[in-house]
Amino acid sequence: MIRFENVSYNYPDGTPALRNINMGIRKGEYIGIIGKNGSGKSTMSLHLNGLLRPQKGKVMVRGMDTGDFSKLQGIRKIVGIVFQNPETQFVGRTVEEDLAFGPENLCLPPMEIRRRVNRALAETGLEKYRYHSPKSLSGGQGQCVALAGVLAMEPECLVFDEVTSMLDPDSGKTVLERVKRLHEKGKTIVYITHNLEELHAADRIIVMDRGRIVLEGKPENVLSDPSLRALGLTPPSLIELAEHLKNHGVAVPWEKTSCPSSFAEEICRLFLKM
Amino acid sequence: MQEPVFSYVPGTSFLHTLDPRTKLAAVMLLGILVFRTESFFGIGVIFALFIALASFTGLPTGIFFRAVRPMLLFIIFIFLAQLFFTEGKVLASFWILQPSIEGLQNGLRLSARFILLLLFAALMTASTDPSAITCGIERILRPLPLRWLGVNSYELATMMNISIAFLPLLFERVERTKAAQASRGMYFGRNPFHSVPALVIPLIRGIVRDAEELALAMESRGYQGTRRTSMHELLMQKRDWASLFALVFFAALLLRF
Ligand SMILES: Nc1ncnc2c1ncn2[C@@H]1O[C@H](COP(=O)(O)OP(=O)(O)OP(=O)(O)O)[C@@H](O)[C@H]1O
Ligand SMILES: [Mg+2]
Repeated sequence: MIRFENVSYNYPDGTPALRNINMGIRKGEYIGIIGKNGSGKSTMSLHLNGLLRPQKGKVMVRGMDTGDFSKLQGIRKIVGIVFQNPETQFVGRTVEEDLAFGPENLCLPPMEIRRRVNRALAETGLEKYRYHSPKSLSGGQGQCVALAGVLAMEPECLVFDEVTSMLDPDSGKTVLERVKRLHEKGKTIVYITHNLEELHAADRIIVMDRGRIVLEGKPENVLSDPSLRALGLTPPSLIELAEHLKNHGVAVPWEKTSCPSSFAEEICRLFLKM
Repeated sequence: MQEPVFSYVPGTSFLHTLDPRTKLAAVMLLGILVFRTESFFGIGVIFALFIALASFTGLPTGIFFRAVRPMLLFIIFIFLAQLFFTEGKVLASFWILQPSIEGLQNGLRLSARFILLLLFAALMTASTDPSAITCGIERILRPLPLRWLGVNSYELATMMNISIAFLPLLFERVERTKAAQASRGMYFGRNPFHSVPALVIPLIRGIVRDAEELALAMESRGYQGTRRTSMHELLMQKRDWASLFALVFFAALLLRF
């Protein structure tokens, strides 16, 4: 549903941020994007709904070219982005008003806006904060408001750019759970992160370095790829552990590496067999 | 958290259900009325009207008087200036100050007017969702040829909303920058010529970055600065016209006497 064709982008100061990117995202897919600081992940995400337009090549969203100004509104209806810092995403004085911002821009009638706001509030469990100022909420709740604000536009594809990096681990987990549920409901997900542990459930992972895609594939292949460290990324410790065990002739299946408890169970099972 | 002075209290009273445009017009009308009424009797009647309207909201009347507090110093200043600097029959004499009866009257009248104005404004803000107020203003401004100023009414309304939402972020940034600089050994208050640039430059850098992020987030959610709708349905109903008519009638009656 989204296609990058030979996309290159340099920032106005000359920094090359994307170099000849080719990739596609299918409907309903859950894609993880990783890469160290400055590798071009955010720049890529801004291309997904035409906030930035490629200088070379083109980005197509469901057949619409992001370079075509008349299509932009239509593209933004399809692809919504949740950004890193919840505070600089708030435009409303109350949560309710903030959620209405997107639908209002789509020129929907008041009744429909109310319906969407109520639905987004229910979906994120924010009903009791309806009249609160988004700024009075905690970081995790704030990120929920930001997500709800995007959900109110009812996009098919949701992009998350390092949404957990400013949250404590617990709120981070809640947000991640929410992302998984949205994927189960059929939304296309693009999840950008530094934390490789968060990508266990992805369908496909794209690794970026200096504006290029350097590695791409299923999580079980990418997360255990020996070149990750050289790209400045730390593989999840359980997966690394599983790799070491494999070198010693002990095979822990991929599904069991998602959390310590299932990993431990598997190890115990293997021990008992021996 | 500090309680804001002009804050909205959600509710379902008669005043709550009026169209924001009705209330905006009413506040303007009452403002004119307040400043056209000379007699203390008239001012008393307007005050009675305020009490009556305030009781309609079902909110404790005290919360409206909170709106007066931040302006109290200004009102006292006006009162004293009138009291001492109005020519007239001298009441008493303190040193070079000679309060006059006319001054006392003028002072009372003027401060009563300001207080009433604040009270009515507080009445409106307490019973109207702030975004409905901006929406109402937007609708009132829409027919005006704002294009000549290089903006349209939608942009203006969004600007009003954003600046109010963005302001706390700004203050927070000032505090954060101050703390960051202090932890690097800056002293504030000693030599302002030294500390101000050290504070202002990172501050502006931070604000510009915040503003850029905000602009991206807004654009991503489809903001184009052109026509947009509002969650608030604005419909002038019978009760709006009736209220306005009653108010005009009241004003005319009061100005006759
Ligand atoms: N507004 C900008 N102006 C100029 N250069 C920029 C701008 N934003 C990013 N860059 C540069 O473009 C390159 C890619 O940045 P980008 O933000 O896409 O990386 P990223 O992978 O998202 O990094 P991070 O993990 O830090 O978020 C970097 O070298 C960065 O310095
Ligand atoms: Mg980034």
